[in-house]
Amino acid sequence: MKKTITYTALFLLAFSFLLPFIIMALGSFKDMKYALLDPLFWIPEDPTLSNYIYLFNDGIFARWIFNSLVITIIPVFSQMLFCAILGYIFAKKNFPGREVIFWVFMAVIMIPQQLLIIPKYIMFADFGWINTYWALIIPELWGIMGVFLVRQFLQNIPNDLEEAARIDGANDIKVFFKVILPLSVPVVATVGTFSFISNWNDLFQPLIYMTKEEMFPVTVGLASLLGKEGDFGVEMAGSTLSFVPTFLIFLFFQRYFTEGIQMSGLK
Amino acid sequence: MTLNNAEKIIEERETHNNGKAPLKDQRKNKNNTSSSKKPKLPFKERVKRQWDRNAIVYIFLIPALIHFIIFQVFPFAFSFVLTFLDWKVIGDPEFVGLKHWIAFLNDGLAWRAIWNTVLFSIYYIVPTMALGLILALIINSGVKASGVFKGIFFLPVVTSFVIIAGIWGWLFRGTESGMVNYLLSFFGIDTQLFLADSDQALLVLAGLSIFKVAGSTMIYYFAGLQSVDKQLYEAARIDGASPLRIFWTITFPLLKPIHFYVAIITTIGSFQIFDSTFLLTGGGPNYSTTTIVFYLYQQGFAGLNLSYAAVLSYVLFFIILVVSLIQRKYLGQETNYY
Repeated sequence: MKKTITYTALFLLAFSFLLPFIIMALGSFKDMKYALLDPLFWIPEDPTLSNYIYLFNDGIFARWIFNSLVITIIPVFSQMLFCAILGYIFAKKNFPGREVIFWVFMAVIMIPQQLLIIPKYIMFADFGWINTYWALIIPELWGIMGVFLVRQFLQNIPNDLEEAARIDGANDIKVFFKVILPLSVPVVATVGTFSFISNWNDLFQPLIYMTKEEMFPVTVGLASLLGKEGDFGVEMAGSTLSFVPTFLIFLFFQRYFTEGIQMSGLK
Repeated sequence: MTLNNAEKIIEERETHNNGKAPLKDQRKNKNNTSSSKKPKLPFKERVKRQWDRNAIVYIFLIPALIHFIIFQVFPFAFSFVLTFLDWKVIGDPEFVGLKHWIAFLNDGLAWRAIWNTVLFSIYYIVPTMALGLILALIINSGVKASGVFKGIFFLPVVTSFVIIAGIWGWLFRGTESGMVNYLLSFFGIDTQLFLADSDQALLVLAGLSIFKVAGSTMIYYFAGLQSVDKQLYEAARIDGASPLRIFWTITFPLLKPIHFYVAIITTIGSFQIFDSTFLLTGGGPNYSTTTIVFYLYQQGFAGLNLSYAAVLSYVLFFIILVVSLIQRKYLGQETNYY
């Protein structure tokens, strides 16, 4: 009896959480440009690829996806490398000012992004970075959050392996790449997945730094599609396409998301 | 006792592995010699030693710190200076003292935006926590394929606001044929305007955020539930306590640190709400969904009043700072994000 209730609740909740995604996927095959009179408008009676064809004939949509890939993939790999190195430095190395610097990092992370965006806009205008990838790539090359995660992770790892390598004559760089990096694969994967999601999904920053349509990432591009009332099918096709990379990353790295969320909070 | 044992075991293992003296002693010797010799070494030699030991620190930390100063510290300070200037897009900035701060105090719309944001928090925080807890309880109750369901509930967390807002807007269309209105009609509820109604728009946006974020509160609660001692449940069950009673007297109080932590992070998140109001309502109708960040965006980037936007961003910062300080006071943790 209790089991039945639990499973009923579970399936109902799961269905309602999935419904928006089902609507998105099905709706993307629906040919419909005008006002919708049917509440179940998103069920395509005769599925068509016309929305997808429309998006790609337009040309600009493929460009948006490309832009998103550029401003996502470069920071992802850069963050994985630099956060791993910096996390290792803060976890294992002794150098003057270590605690103070880390304390400053932890204080600065409290500053909301929205505060930094106004001065950054003025700076980037000065640098000539508006409507270039630099504005979204350079500031994201490493992140305090990632350093924090790696540091947490490495602090729980004993020093023996590292010391053994050092006695064998390995220098710092070698120790890092041969010993530390292979050990840190799970946490580095967490840093990478977090970075992917936050860059791929970011709307606020590109909205401000990118004013030309051909420089929009897919989030800003989709937002501009939302403005065009009535193109439900096209909107959903665009959403589906921009969702695919997120979904694939999520499918393969789900564990790292949930572990990362727990690590960032509860330890 | 146990620590000593552990150390012994480590040393034994090290001796065993290397067939040499324990690493610990070697390291000690090395440290001793280097520290005792240090003052006598010529400067060049000292630099070389430091370089050998900490090269990686200097090669990577210094550029990272420069980057940090350019993209975090400087903008933070610059933004504060900006609040005392009249920053023009073209032409030299002019010092205007507290003009923008005074303007803020007298700006009814800014206070309206703060109030809207507080209202949004009220609509959003408790339901997000409650839904997250319910999801975690179900997942934790030993259902089959719990990993798959966890993934489903977490999916909106990793999906962009743009996608979810796009679908949300269609679901909550304020006409008879809107899907939510259609469902409500089965319960005899009249057609609602939703996003076009100034009393409902903020609620619909809060609903969107609840749907988007509940999956991550679920993860926190799930971790918390797993750390609850199973023996407590056993004992309560033997005493004949009902499941509901067990929940309210054991589970719920034991999750207290998590309630607190989740409350803080959802509060911080709710004060930064921007995407959904930008995408779905544009701050309307009748300013009912103009939140702090949306107003900041309008002032700064639609109105090009960057100095005034900087004032608003500092107001946001102070609010978040107070919330974070409360967290530190009560939790004594160094983390305050996500």
